[in-house]
Amino acid sequence: MPRKTALYDRHERLGGRMVDFAGWLLPVQYESILGEHVYCRVSAVVFDTSHMGQFYFTGPGAGEQLGKLCTQDPAALKVGRCKYGFLLNEIGGVLDDTILMRLGGQQYLLVVNAGTLDGDLEWIQSHMSGAAGVELVNRSGAGWGKLDLQGPRSAEVLGPLVDIDLHKLGYFGVTEAACRGRRLVLSRTGYTGELGYEIMAPADDLVRMFDRLMASAIVRPAGLGARDSLRLEMCYPLYGHELSPLRTPIEADLGGFVKPQREFIGAEALREQFAAGTKQKLIAFRSDSRRRANPENPIFCADRAVGRVTSAAFSPSLKVSVGMGYVDMAFCRLGQELVVDTDRIELPVVVCEKPLYTHGTCRASV
Amino acid sequence: MVPNNLAYTEEHEWVRIEGKTGTVGITDHAQHALGDLTFVELPQIGRQLSRGDEACAIESSKAAASIYSPVGGKVVEVNGALEDDPGLVNSDCYSKGWFYKVELSDPAEAEALLKPAAYEKLLGEGEN
Repeated sequence: MPRKTALYDRHERLGGRMVDFAGWLLPVQYESILGEHVYCRVSAVVFDTSHMGQFYFTGPGAGEQLGKLCTQDPAALKVGRCKYGFLLNEIGGVLDDTILMRLGGQQYLLVVNAGTLDGDLEWIQSHMSGAAGVELVNRSGAGWGKLDLQGPRSAEVLGPLVDIDLHKLGYFGVTEAACRGRRLVLSRTGYTGELGYEIMAPADDLVRMFDRLMASAIVRPAGLGARDSLRLEMCYPLYGHELSPLRTPIEADLGGFVKPQREFIGAEALREQFAAGTKQKLIAFRSDSRRRANPENPIFCADRAVGRVTSAAFSPSLKVSVGMGYVDMAFCRLGQELVVDTDRIELPVVVCEKPLYTHGTCRASV
Repeated sequence: MVPNNLAYTEEHEWVRIEGKTGTVGITDHAQHALGDLTFVELPQIGRQLSRGDEACAIESSKAAASIYSPVGGKVVEVNGALEDDPGLVNSDCYSKGWFYKVELSDPAEAEALLKPAAYEKLLGEGEN
């Protein structure tokens, strides 16, 4: 049986179409995926992301232990800052993509994906066993939750509800804050490319926060469908599509997020791959048509199979179909014309610069 | 309530019969189940369709589907507005969201379609 988040009743009441996502019942949409997508780009939406994992690491050994497991360097991360990175296996393959947040000198929060949460936890615990000076608390699932408030008007909505000055919380900043005396963790991060915040709190407080956000005339709820098309326009990877244990961050064109001079699991494999290069790379593409490709569709150049689609959708912002896929290095240059075989038709596409959508407000000053 | 002046199929298409012309679209139930339409491919004008032929390819933010012609005939007009704005099917499925018109090859075929009451009964059964 899929689990329900603390906001399940709210989703039902708001007309959410509930689906099983990574073992959780979550709304794929309320009124309309396209409508929610567009609304996020111009105003503010709230997503229930309570299915995601929150691992809190505390103690004098927390930084050192995390440093062995994550591509992010905990020692180099300032208090109040977040960094995107990965948990890797020995061959540099991606076990999960994560955001590491430094909440205090000896306090870190690692936010992980829902589908990989159990595996991550087991993997982390097996590598941490016997480690001194670090305590791991898993605040995932029942009793805890997360909301993502995303959109250019997010700060306008959230500002009056919290006791901190949002002007001081820059992109990829994190802080503790309070809403009517209830503590929560607030990061200026997200998965849409727009200005926005992730709010982490105990379930009861999260439900109250959801109600307060929804009480604003500016905010509408959005579901997983819009979340997916928003992230695809930004070329953010989705675990299980762009990322897997068989692909490294370098192949995923995310090599800029890893600095393997430092030792962590998978670092050696990355050093070798940086030196030797990769056979394929993750590219973004767009077509001139509204007609979309599908994940797993083969990609051709003339009659030669050169890659495979990982994600594809109609882009509400660009008004054409877009996607991402792994393609042989020789066919990755910008402007390269390729053809996706969608089973029904051969869809001409062209390799594009990332992100596909370039008007996102995520870095805007508040 | 579904419009009283249309005939329906079990696949949630509607047909408006006016003399020798049949106009084809999808019902409110169908557009709701599909979600936002993002792509519509219409048949060529002049194409001869038999009942059951694939007439249109459609894609929504959630699914890809086909419209199989509920009646046979020669395509005489298509709703080109859907190519740039497939959302018309979601916002106005019985009027601005029509797909194509055929010159009916056998007006008797229309007799086999569901009457509004029968289609409503079908919808009701689906809910139970």
